Amino acid sequence: MAYVATRGGERAIEQSERLFREEMGSFDRERVEEVKKGLPYLIDRVMGEASLYDEDLAALALAQTGGELYEAVLLLRAWRTTQPRLQVAEPIEQDSLFTHRRISAAFKDIPGGQVLGPTLDYAHRILATDVLQGVSYAPDPVEPATNPSPAYQPSVSAWQAENDLLDSPAEDPTKGNDIPDLTREPLLFPSKRAHTLQSLARAETGGVLALGYAAMRGYGQAHPTVNELRLAEAEIAVTHPDGRQFSAGRVKVSQAEVVDKKGEKLGIGFAATFGWNEVKCIAAATLDLNSPSAEKGSATEEEFFLYHTEGVESSGFCIHFKLPHYVTFQSSLDAMRDAKAKKAAKAREPAE
Amino acid sequence: MSLSTLTKPWEAMSYGFLDGSAKRELRRKMLKSVAVPGCQMPYASREVPMARGWGTGGLQVSLTLVNPQTRVKVIDQGADDSVNAASIRRFIARVAGTPTTMDTLEADLIQSRHRIPEEVLREDQVLVLQVPNPEPLRPVQPNMSIARQMHADADYGRMWLQLYEQIVRSGRVMQGASYPSLVHGRHVMTPSPIPRWDVPKLHMAEHLTILSAGREKRIFAVPPYTRVEPLVFSDVPYKVEEHGHLTCTRSGTKGFFMNEVPQDDGSSAFEVSDSEWGVKTIRARDGIGESRGETWYKDGEMPQ
Amino acid sequence: MLAPPAPSLAETRDNIAFDALLWALSRPGLPRDLPEPGEGSIITALLDRECLVYSADPLLMPEIMRTGAELADIGKADHVFLGAMTTSDSLADIAIGSDYYPDDGATVIIRASIGSGPAIGLVGPGVDGVVTPQLDGLPDGFWKARAARLRYPMGFDLFFVDGARVVGVPRSTTIEEI
Repeated sequence: MAYVATRGGERAIEQSERLFREEMGSFDRERVEEVKKGLPYLIDRVMGEASLYDEDLAALALAQTGGELYEAVLLLRAWRTTQPRLQVAEPIEQDSLFTHRRISAAFKDIPGGQVLGPTLDYAHRILATDVLQGVSYAPDPVEPATNPSPAYQPSVSAWQAENDLLDSPAEDPTKGNDIPDLTREPLLFPSKRAHTLQSLARAETGGVLALGYAAMRGYGQAHPTVNELRLAEAEIAVTHPDGRQFSAGRVKVSQAEVVDKKGEKLGIGFAATFGWNEVKCIAAATLDLNSPSAEKGSATEEEFFLYHTEGVESSGFCIHFKLPHYVTFQSSLDAMRDAKAKKAAKAREPAE
Repeated sequence: MSLSTLTKPWEAMSYGFLDGSAKRELRRKMLKSVAVPGCQMPYASREVPMARGWGTGGLQVSLTLVNPQTRVKVIDQGADDSVNAASIRRFIARVAGTPTTMDTLEADLIQSRHRIPEEVLREDQVLVLQVPNPEPLRPVQPNMSIARQMHADADYGRMWLQLYEQIVRSGRVMQGASYPSLVHGRHVMTPSPIPRWDVPKLHMAEHLTILSAGREKRIFAVPPYTRVEPLVFSDVPYKVEEHGHLTCTRSGTKGFFMNEVPQDDGSSAFEVSDSEWGVKTIRARDGIGESRGETWYKDGEMPQ
Repeated sequence: MLAPPAPSLAETRDNIAFDALLWALSRPGLPRDLPEPGEGSIITALLDRECLVYSADPLLMPEIMRTGAELADIGKADHVFLGAMTTSDSLADIAIGSDYYPDDGATVIIRASIGSGPAIGLVGPGVDGVVTPQLDGLPDGFWKARAARLRYPMGFDLFFVDGARVVGVPRSTTIEEI
């Protein structure tokens, strides 16, 4: 039978996957540990975009995909979606965050103080090429402060609200299971507030940055001032079926508030995500700040930026163009040829 | 309430990969999409172990419908051996233990990208079409909220205008695949990027068709015996691709949708797009046995 | 790779029940078999904690509650179990969705006798020409009350359950009383 090459496809896809995996070779728990220990900020980024907080699984996903970030996030999302939702944790207030870093660009000093915490902001970005010569890189030890800053800090916007500089968003009484969950419901517009924040929390960092940057450069109406940026750990408080509340552990979170003058008061944009990822939070908060006044179809309109910063969807669609499209192409060719033939026939008609 | 009422015994993977809540949501939405033919119903669309845009919407529907007896056929561009079809078929069999087939007549469920098989589907078969973009209005209105309002108002004026402009400019409707069609006289739907050749197969068919866009999170359906009418002007009739006269160079079959294969000498050869139809034709020619079923097109024409 | 996971008994039951529901709604008026008599398999195949449910039949409550679904007023419910109906009044309150989101129209499950009583003529998607099933045990004026609520694509979708048999009538179906 001349036609039957039907198994060829299956063999080809299997071998192509083997080729990809060959480069990483075999790996074990040790490599996963190494990834986890050596690349915490990458782990954070992946956990945020996957909306799944588990450093071991994130490290495993990175090891398994050879650091193909979109693939790693997809792997984690696909795993996450099969897990039962057992409990909804208690809401977390800003002043209950165990804070490592907290800065405000809006004031020289703020109640609770500016806390620089861990950052490369003031580091000189010089590549430590010595390491390649065999010298090991040993960072200088941290010297503890004589006056440690308090671990729990009030929010800057709370002070501004007290001083009538901004209107705090109305308290949302929705609790527990009633809080809309983006992973269980479709995103529809105008978007529910919970969906917007969840969507930004798991947005792709580069995508959020690109659109947020466009807004910052002037394609948005509002110009952000970083009111407060925080890197912290949050206690996950859940309720046991017997009624007792307990902590299921702490997770790293980052959040940003950005503000801009809006009439006589300040407008505020907010974003938070799993892990420590400052760029994403500032960019996402900027989009949030801009969205109320955004024109339909502009980059700062909610529908526009939420759809287009969804990393799993956008990357998947991008690579799907590699799939064969010869049927649709054939169909277009047919229409083109027919139109051309019609034109030619018309040209041959004698003028009346 | 206790933890055990909230949980279930540990399984490495749920049957059919999707968990119970994902399946129930899809079931609810499938019923609604059958109840309002051609109307896009939003659904949560879970992530599956496949990239978005690669058939995740169709896959979620298939995984919800199958049981270990469901015989599954998967095609891409009409071919069972296309790499992505092979990958999806392997995945469904791997997570749901379903038997697979390439024979359209043997299949209980057919998941397809961009084609409807040439053999007539029966009432006991379900066709699941993968959909990249569920919104037929997108070329005239990229904003989904506005497009939804237009569907709500049955406001298809801009759609008609676009088709009219094409006729004025090019002498014909230039839409290739994904030809917008009016379903049950109410909702304009994209039939997914099937060629124009395949759209009449949806009209008053015996089988149920479910169309699902995973990335865009929309599901819609064409129940059996439902009107599916391509948008046309009364004086410019609907035209399928001119493939009715073409002959497949490999199997000799004639009168079906073909793939054009450019040749070194500058000419084109043609191969039948429905690969299993080609295989069956070759088998019949070689005297191995007749397994071809009835086809929608007869002598290169759709009857009626 | 491990062997394919085997379906649990619950999965099998829900799968069969949904197959019946999907088939029945796709072919209005033609009966199909549920895996077991009564509404039970419909409840587990469709409902969970994302759903708002109204039930006129108190006997169904425990099973509905076990799915995690929330009980709601009839006008808010996405799934409505009317049991054996005595009047058509409740149809007046069932959610019909909006033009914007027709999927917000409810799914309604009613007990009736299939194959006896007055015949009705069904026309519309899923029907080859016309089908004329017999349905008994519905209150007077049922079909008029239904017609009064439908504003296609807004409306609600009906399943009639008789033992283990189910008949579907989606909102797209036009009814003629014969």
